[in-house]
Amino acid sequence: MPRRSPGSTQDFEDVHTRVATRVRGLRPRPERPHLLEVVDGPGKGTRFRLEAALYEMGRGANVSLQLDSDEVSRLHARLTRADGEYTVEDAHSRNGVLLNGLRVHAAVLRDGDELQLGDVVLKYLEGT
Amino acid sequence: MSSEDLFVRFWGVRGSIPTPGPRTRRYGGNTSCVEVRAGKTLLVFDAGTGLRELGVHLGRSTDSPVTVHLFLSHPHWDHIQGFPFFGPAYESSTTIYVYGPRGDDKHYQLLSGQMSNAYFPVRFSELGARILARSFKGTSVDAGDATVHLFEQKHPGGSLGFRVEYAGKSVVFSTDNELDQLLLDKQAAFESPDELRKLPKELLKPVQDADLLIADAQYADDEYAQRVGWGHPRANTVVDLAAQAGVRRLALTHHDPMHSDREIDVVVSEAELRARRLGFEDLEIFGAREGVTLKI
Repeated sequence: MPRRSPGSTQDFEDVHTRVATRVRGLRPRPERPHLLEVVDGPGKGTRFRLEAALYEMGRGANVSLQLDSDEVSRLHARLTRADGEYTVEDAHSRNGVLLNGLRVHAAVLRDGDELQLGDVVLKYLEGT
Repeated sequence: MSSEDLFVRFWGVRGSIPTPGPRTRRYGGNTSCVEVRAGKTLLVFDAGTGLRELGVHLGRSTDSPVTVHLFLSHPHWDHIQGFPFFGPAYESSTTIYVYGPRGDDKHYQLLSGQMSNAYFPVRFSELGARILARSFKGTSVDAGDATVHLFEQKHPGGSLGFRVEYAGKSVVFSTDNELDQLLLDKQAAFESPDELRKLPKELLKPVQDADLLIADAQYADDEYAQRVGWGHPRANTVVDLAAQAGVRRLALTHHDPMHSDREIDVVVSEAELRARRLGFEDLEIFGAREGVTLKI
């Protein structure tokens, strides 16, 4: 602690704080994965980590992102990645694809979007 | 895709000026541009900065020659600025038809005029594509497999709205239209804002029973009093237009550049509440958002 002399008008002395090592500026940042989490309906709590260029979503045995519900078509929708962003596209499903409650044919996904396929609701958590 | 399918994709939904950044990431910051696919016919409404992204998409998704039927609501910057950056315009295999009212090639001239070399390094005459001016015959024109009808709107300098008809379906593109100046009782909308705002029959006709109305809805009610005469309506007035005309779906667009994603959510939510409160339960309302495609 710096010593304060009695009666001095200089209440604060310069203590010459030193920063030992300066943090480097620009560095490549690790990527955070894009995620889809089932937030309502069958499979609630399941998280899918999205890394591939293409996912097929549905209840069929051969899809890459399986949703276990009779209200979901065997092949319900596709997820494709381009320029680091995922786009969902309805694959002629029976019940359609809802984006935040709006029936869409396709949509580029954004953080916090809710997708509904049948009675399965998935939240999109956008990575980097 | 069946030959009778009609798709709409939003490439630019912002009004006035591009607004990139985290506040506008979800709805998007590109200015006005909407793609309509009628079977194999590609129609584009407005050439704001969203047009550049459509060009990139076309470049990646097709090797076939591109034919574009381009309709401009009017030639203010936010409706033409994407054109010099539209990749297919540089390809000799591309054909672009630029539509304007009968006997008036002003849109074509102003689109090309922005490429004089004081503004842009490439001249319009140096573009590789065949770019041709086309006129409406009266108020209608056949554009590929679709029919497009035009109607005049209320905007400083004038603007045009368009109704696309294809395979029994209809989409209306109506931006930069200050409906509030055309209300039967303008004062009542200020004094009793919760009441239905009545519009003249001739304004309802172009949007009557449309499957989708894409409409300028730039201002919330409490913003409009300071912006009277700027050429844009209150979102709630657009709701009343759609409701009175029996529109099925309403896309609110031409978002104000000052509005963040959250503020647009509020405008849309208030519009939905208004429709329910006035008894128009079947009218579906949403905020137009870049990257969203609808099947009509």
